[in-house]
Amino acid sequence: MAEDAQEPEINDEDMVAQTQNGDPRAFDALVRKYSSRLYGLVYNMTSNHEDTNDLLQDVFSKAYRSIKGFRGKSSFYTWLHTIATNTTINFLKKRSRGFQLSLDDIDSHVQFDPEFIELTSAHDARRDIDLKEMQQKLNEAMMKLSNDHRAVVTMFDIQGMPHAEIAKILKVSEGTVRSRLFYAHRQLQSYLQEFLTT
Amino acid sequence: MNPDIHKLLRFKRYEHPTPDYFERFLDEFHERQRADLLKQSALKLMWERMVDLMPSMRIPRLAYAGVAAMALILSAVILSSQQGETMAPASLALNAPTPVINTAPLARQVMHLPDSSRSDFPPHYVLESRPVSYESPYSF
Repeated sequence: MAEDAQEPEINDEDMVAQTQNGDPRAFDALVRKYSSRLYGLVYNMTSNHEDTNDLLQDVFSKAYRSIKGFRGKSSFYTWLHTIATNTTINFLKKRSRGFQLSLDDIDSHVQFDPEFIELTSAHDARRDIDLKEMQQKLNEAMMKLSNDHRAVVTMFDIQGMPHAEIAKILKVSEGTVRSRLFYAHRQLQSYLQEFLTT
Repeated sequence: MNPDIHKLLRFKRYEHPTPDYFERFLDEFHERQRADLLKQSALKLMWERMVDLMPSMRIPRLAYAGVAAMALILSAVILSSQQGETMAPASLALNAPTPVINTAPLARQVMHLPDSSRSDFPPHYVLESRPVSYESPYSF
């Protein structure tokens, strides 16, 4: 039953072609397919829900306006992620330093995640890990990274993209992606020492 | 790669908006699209439609050049004719004979030119250095 209820996987190339031929419903299908994933990308780079919502609207508007020029040299997925990353980085360059974190709720399913159970059991018994506190600290640590470093950490560690895909989206070499990850992890390690098992 | 940092960051996957957010997101996207469309000026829309329409009309490329050249020539002709109309009264006034009002006694003013010049040049008199014609002035 659950499988029957699942929406069939849409083909990006078909949807792009239909949009280019003037069918806006095809673009709606692409918005439905990618909004959640792109939300994660933008949200983890901004740490602010309202900014993420506005940026995501801009990203899809830009994509819709320029989709006629999309020739399929890269996949639609890469093309859309490039628009999202560039739009977000440009926004972050202009955003004032005094912004407030406005975070989404953490899904309570995290407590059943084997890695979370492992983390909490290995953690100092004197003090329970508070989810909200951990979220706050994680986001603060992320915001201490440079925009470029945060982008690779978001794509690799949080979204699970391979190095090659990140390199295509950011238009840099795989070596650069690996190097940025190395320095970002080193910085994060010092900020998040209290949550790390030694 | 630091495995501990990687594990910790993976927990950020659990931060996400409420489930109905993405349905509302699509509605908001449609609203913004409509608002953007209304913002576009009528002229821009007309231009876009014209550009979209052009390829379907199958007009040969040279025809565009021809039409553009014709429009250019036509506008040049209209402009030059308008300039001609505005210049005409001034030029006519320049060519028109200037009426001479003579108040001095005729005997003192008239100077006869030498006979040799009569055969070569049309006869004329000079009244106080101003040439006048043979025609008798109507004011006399």
